[in-house]
Amino acid sequence: MTAATGLSGAGVGIEIDDIQSGALRPRPVPYEGEFNFLRVDDRHAGRALLRRLIPTIGGGLAGPDPSRDAWVAVAFTYQGLRALGVPQESLDSFSRPFREGMAARADQIGDVGESAPANWEPPFGTGEVHIAVSALSTDAARLAKALERARVAFHETPGVELIWQQEVRQLPTGRTTFGFRDGISHPNIEGLGLPGSNPREAPIKAGEFILGYPCETGGLPPMPSPDVLGRNGTYVAVRKIHTKAAAWRRYLRANTSGAEDEALLAAKMVGRWPSGAPLTLTPEHDDPELAADPHRNNDFLYRENDEQGLRCPAGAHIRRVNPRDAAIIGDARMHRLIRRGTTYGPPLPEGVLEDDGADRGLVGVFIGAHLERQFEFIKAEWVNDGNFIGYPGEQDPVAGHHNGTGSVTIPEKPVRRRLRNLPSFVATRGGEYCFLPGLRALRWIAELQD
Amino acid sequence: MAATSAQLERKGAKDGVCTEFTVFAKIKAGHAEALREVLAELTAGAADMSARAALREIGTLHDARHVMFDNDTRFMFASVFDGTWDTYIDDFGKTVVGERFDMVFRHCEGFPGIADPGIKDWFLERQAPAGVFVSSYPDLTVQQIWKDQRVNEAFQEVLDTPEFREALDNPANAALKATPAFQKLMKEAQA
Ligand code: HEM
Repeated sequence: MTAATGLSGAGVGIEIDDIQSGALRPRPVPYEGEFNFLRVDDRHAGRALLRRLIPTIGGGLAGPDPSRDAWVAVAFTYQGLRALGVPQESLDSFSRPFREGMAARADQIGDVGESAPANWEPPFGTGEVHIAVSALSTDAARLAKALERARVAFHETPGVELIWQQEVRQLPTGRTTFGFRDGISHPNIEGLGLPGSNPREAPIKAGEFILGYPCETGGLPPMPSPDVLGRNGTYVAVRKIHTKAAAWRRYLRANTSGAEDEALLAAKMVGRWPSGAPLTLTPEHDDPELAADPHRNNDFLYRENDEQGLRCPAGAHIRRVNPRDAAIIGDARMHRLIRRGTTYGPPLPEGVLEDDGADRGLVGVFIGAHLERQFEFIKAEWVNDGNFIGYPGEQDPVAGHHNGTGSVTIPEKPVRRRLRNLPSFVATRGGEYCFLPGLRALRWIAELQD
Repeated sequence: MAATSAQLERKGAKDGVCTEFTVFAKIKAGHAEALREVLAELTAGAADMSARAALREIGTLHDARHVMFDNDTRFMFASVFDGTWDTYIDDFGKTVVGERFDMVFRHCEGFPGIADPGIKDWFLERQAPAGVFVSSYPDLTVQQIWKDQRVNEAFQEVLDTPEFREALDNPANAALKATPAFQKLMKEAQA
């Protein structure tokens, strides 16, 4: 391995330009994107497709002007690597959740009831999703250009079938379907040359996010073999999540005394105001100016000023999924994620409280070198339970599967507020675990013999 | 290693929110005395204090015992956790809890170290699930028990204040006293 510094200013040792852009780059604002799932019916065809795709795949960090950013990324499910003829010995060396696939892990991660794989949108969970090609850009024209060659390749490679497609784009409001801004917080990764969004976060070891480098345990993360396949790759959990925007609004309306209280309750559930301003910094009202300042909108910890959660409840979405320095069971730094949320479907028009039947939600991408300790742990321990913050059985107000029986505790003086009978505001439409290889690894797969 | 974990399933008997976790290991030849000393050390003075701190830090462990048996050739670790024992194993690798595990188990054959990626498999290979495991409080996690204890202590203190008696007699509080929830509380206060 060369001690490549890379053109993009990464620290010594990290081969930044061999890492797919899809792993590390924050999504642009605004954005247009597309997810494509492919099925490989013939391994030679699959490799031929890959050879055509490789020249379009971006590596490294963004160029000097992020407002012109566009990239295409390619990832594989376990079934996909098998279909491409990756040797069994090598397949066996991947992490267990990846080998089993997300659908097989449904009980562990709480995809039950309406979110159960039996109710997923095909082809999720069927074993037919082999290759995922995603693209993100700042606008439709750049996206089309980035995808031009890939689209031709999808259609002109017999033996490979395009089986699913999902467009995502930022809503005109700049917010997600629940009305909140997303895409603010990113981990501070050591040696990348890409600053994290929280100046108070001590750098997290690169091996938490990219295979081949030391992680927070002090050792090297278990890496698939051969080395050329595993190095500079990472795991990705992709999920399509339907959001019940009308149910969300109705619940807020029914449980508050007026517009101001309604806005506050919603913010207490998310941990940020609609603009993105964090409750810990502005507990009583939204502050769009603070939200718009990238140096301030994520510059906070919890312990010093908000240990009890009187500003941002311990059970709020953003405090659950990244407790920072708050007192919890375990060590929060062992459970960090790179995350990219993208919106699909039309917005629910302002003021509407009845469901209009439209499918809207997000495609969430959760990236890390340890599926089990990161995505799965966060989902099972932090989103689907509250024992780690002293509220056993309470789930994430936004992302939990409450089923009409959920409860949420909101610290308040003199007496905490407790919401009951929460319905689920989200339903999983499907998900897949993928492996996002480095660029050299992509070539290795494409050049497999026989 | 990844290949072996494919065959190793989580086991351990569950009752309510808890799972028992019992492991049998072989003590390294010639290490029995050293292990006995470690165990004695862990229960003495300052180490005992640190054990209490470690338990606070774990926050999911109900109880645990370390037992040497079979003429000091074998070792048992028996414990009860909320959820499963392995959920936080990587977290504890870096802490005083991990240190304590390392101190004890390094006297057992084949122990790779608490921070080793193969640690889960090492434990799984040595785990024997209980034939019977019952809990008297199947719905309570350690967190809940601690909270319940804090609330009860504070409640008892309130009962001891004359001001509380006066408040009960105050007609202004009649509506509160009439609620079923408050009556439930007062029933607990009577004895
Ligand atoms: C199910 C629907 C979900 C919605 C609508 C949602 C929405 C949001 C929003 C609005 C933010 C604040 C923006 C920011 O801090 O960047 C956020 C942050 C975050 N979400 Fe979610 N999320 C969902 C599910 C999840 C799940 C399932 C996970 C993880 C398993 C997750 C992990 C995170 C993380 C790590 C952050 C950053 C928190 C921080 O660093 O403070 N989210 N999410």
